[in-house]
Amino acid sequence: MTEEKVFEIVKESIGEILFDLDLSLVQPQHSLKELGANSIDRMEITVRAMEMLSLKIPLVEFGKVSNIQGLVDILLTQKKAAG
Amino acid sequence: MAVGIEAMNLYGGSMFVDVRSIFEGRGLDLDRFDNLMMVRKAMVLPCEDPVTNAVNAAKPILDRLSEEEKNSIELLITATESGIDFGKSLSTYVHEYLGLSRHCRLFEVKQACYGGTAAFQMAANFVASQASPGAKALVIATDVSRTTERMSYAEPSQGEGAVAMLVSDRPQLFELDFGANGLYSYEVFDTCRPRPDVELGDPDLSLLSYLECLENTYRNYTEKVEGADFLETFDYLAFHTPFAGMVKGAHRKMMRQLYKMGGREIEADFQKRVAPSLKYCEEVGNVYAATVYFALSGLIDHAPIDEEMRIGIFSYGSGCSSEFFSGVVSPEAKKALSRMRIKEQLDARYSLSFEEYDKLIDMNKEWTFGIQDKAVDLSGCQTMYDHAMAGKRRLILKQIKDFHREYVWS
Repeated sequence: MTEEKVFEIVKESIGEILFDLDLSLVQPQHSLKELGANSIDRMEITVRAMEMLSLKIPLVEFGKVSNIQGLVDILLTQKKAAG
Repeated sequence: MAVGIEAMNLYGGSMFVDVRSIFEGRGLDLDRFDNLMMVRKAMVLPCEDPVTNAVNAAKPILDRLSEEEKNSIELLITATESGIDFGKSLSTYVHEYLGLSRHCRLFEVKQACYGGTAAFQMAANFVASQASPGAKALVIATDVSRTTERMSYAEPSQGEGAVAMLVSDRPQLFELDFGANGLYSYEVFDTCRPRPDVELGDPDLSLLSYLECLENTYRNYTEKVEGADFLETFDYLAFHTPFAGMVKGAHRKMMRQLYKMGGREIEADFQKRVAPSLKYCEEVGNVYAATVYFALSGLIDHAPIDEEMRIGIFSYGSGCSSEFFSGVVSPEAKKALSRMRIKEQLDARYSLSFEEYDKLIDMNKEWTFGIQDKAVDLSGCQTMYDHAMAGKRRLILKQIKDFHREYVWS
């Protein structure tokens, strides 16, 4: 699993929640908030990305995430740890 | 034996302000207004505090009891995160002004918004233990939110008020499924009141922790209750409601996760099983320790109940402690609760303009923790008082004299 692949999965889950958004504009340094996601949207994007990666990470681990890169980092680390 | 809630009443403040007017007045982003799903925010006057809220919630219940029934209350637990003294619990004042028997245990519990459930479960266990057969318990969760004013997006959603519940072996309002408790707790620093004048919160972390707890308390519940199914077992659901939009998101997450349901199906289920529980919460805001029982009351008053029906309840308190439990309501419950005329009471509150609301915040701010001597001055809010309190026989704070609070009836 590469960082690019995880980023693509996160983008896909963003697309499922923020369906009006042009995904080609989404960059790792963007925060989900600035893309227009409210607190519930942000949680759902995180949960969907975890599901697509078959990961089960306690949600509170994502409490300090400030941008998409931060989300990708946690998912990638956990995916690698899971083998 | 049967155990649960015999009678319940809410106090949703003496005034309210429209949530939209707070958004407009503070220049908040109206896009987030829809996400919040809140209509009104409850407010109280400078002559109201957690003690008066508690008494004003409980008194209509007590007024309907015979002397004998009243004297059978052997336990009074207050639950609050708005304490007024480090040592003396506010239950002592509540006990005095409700005129309860001296042969009664008095104390207070605290665990953020879980406090009301902590107190309720302890009271139910006391009744079920049969340590004193026939004895009743009075549980009151009461809070104020003076510390969150002008706190950006937390401001519109934080309310004040109280819920009072008579817990006994005659649970005509809500019969607890005794022993069916899913628990989940751990240390997390999501919201707190580290000083009497400071209320802090990390809303994102709190939301994630709430959802983590909902999933895990429910899982723990299914381990204890064979065959439990989130969709089939519960006719209705009542969740702790920091804001109504949060409950909608939490329900959606559970339905997607457990049943892979699509948006339309989830919305239909939400409208049927959850939406009635939000009716009073939308009218009052987050009343901290009392909130989940505002949800339960809203459900009983608004949902069709034509036979015995099971309600799943999720209680969460930051910090954190949480529980998923259940109980049964019957058409009798609807009749019993309707006697409290909760909707009528909420509609009779004084409607504050944004300017009046803003002024009231400053008046209430003077009533900080630890005041030694101060008399309540209502000259700045006489119109509001006359409308909402005068002649209604509600308890109000008159003054604090050498730290001791003195109350009178309005």
